[in-house]
Amino acid sequence: MYPPKFGYVIPESVKEAIEFLESHDDARPLAGGHSLIPMLKLRIIRPSYLVELKTLQELKGLRKEGENYVIGALATHYEVKNAKIPLLSQTASVIADPQVRNMGTIGGSISNADPLSDYPAPLIAMDAKVIITSSKGERQVEFSQFQKDMFTTDLSQGELVKAIVAPLLQGYRTVYEKLERKAGDYAIVGVAVALKEEEGVIKDVRIGLTAVNNKAMRAKASEEILINNSLSEDLISKAAIAAIDYANPTSDIRGSAEYKKKMVKVMTEKALKSLVR
Amino acid sequence: MKVVEPNEKVAIKLKVNGKEYEEVVEPRRLLVHVLRDLGFTGVHVGCDSSNCGACTVIMNGKSVKSCTLLAIEANEAEITTVEGLSSNGKLHPIQEGFWEKHGLQCGYCTPGMIMEAYFLLKENPNPTEEEIREGISGNLCRCTGYQNIVEAIKYASEKMKKQEIEKTT
Repeated sequence: MYPPKFGYVIPESVKEAIEFLESHDDARPLAGGHSLIPMLKLRIIRPSYLVELKTLQELKGLRKEGENYVIGALATHYEVKNAKIPLLSQTASVIADPQVRNMGTIGGSISNADPLSDYPAPLIAMDAKVIITSSKGERQVEFSQFQKDMFTTDLSQGELVKAIVAPLLQGYRTVYEKLERKAGDYAIVGVAVALKEEEGVIKDVRIGLTAVNNKAMRAKASEEILINNSLSEDLISKAAIAAIDYANPTSDIRGSAEYKKKMVKVMTEKALKSLVR
Repeated sequence: MKVVEPNEKVAIKLKVNGKEYEEVVEPRRLLVHVLRDLGFTGVHVGCDSSNCGACTVIMNGKSVKSCTLLAIEANEAEITTVEGLSSNGKLHPIQEGFWEKHGLQCGYCTPGMIMEAYFLLKENPNPTEEEIREGISGNLCRCTGYQNIVEAIKYASEKMKKQEIEKTT
């Protein structure tokens, strides 16, 4: 399979990349390329130009800043996996396979907004923020507002994700549970949980679901069942059943909609049980 | 800013197995095809959709699937293919492991498996069986059932450890 013909732009700064993307409607930014190049090869997209981002220092780096981690858009899944960020590193470790993790980037993944991707579950659970850069300067949006629909984000042509801001989650216990059909596949269901207890009572809990809706969802009703209670088997079961209401999956090769809904309960239960002390 | 127009070709430099090459490519040309045309036919085209890992090479120290990389992205990169592993006519311990432990049948996936094992052992010189299996989860083999491939990588890990000790004593 050969990609269609396109031009290739190597900018020297983010400013140059943005200017080019702004003035060429059908030009696409290229980060790790591990969704973009397969789409090119399948001729699903035919951009006029690809704008290479990989050398742009302003989009790189991964550092602690006060109460947050600031993760440059070009951080690969490999780098995120090794960065010991609660919830996010564990999630990165189960994305695709080692070779893909060596190339794929967090900024590219969330900009592509594949509904079956893994990152949206932890990012929505963490109340992460996305820093977007454009010719008008920088703006910051909540991840929940950044994702609009499947393959659709808040980005306009000429805007790029600069970084992701994720809280340290100090004192939280976290887990990402992924159900996959085969090693390295997209998620059938992905459940991210962050939970904070004080003297055996749940003081904060966030449950993020991916792959079972057009975009990631917080299972708010499940969270409400758990909060100010202790993590008992009975309560976990109730919370897991409540999570089903946030799933609106479609039937495909990975399973029927009915099966996936049931798996939301199973995986939520599994995630919560793994956090019992 | 450098702009290559859709109908233009561009010169790229690659360092493959220690030797420099210059190629003129269309931006859409895939790395796997450039490497094969240079004679590195150990780099296989398997699924051509970044599933099977037969095209795995090491680029700047990381294993990558060369069917999902544009050659232009690899400009100025250092690449190692399976052809670059043996030295002075002696097989690399990973190659030796695949030989000794019968880690292949048809051999199609083998170069990719070996290159991914190379990356795995560089990252983690003492992998457990589970870590080996996770490490090669991006490489498909339809013959062996993976058992002997895992054995081969274990063999290589032990052999490389021994060589390391010999070197330091």
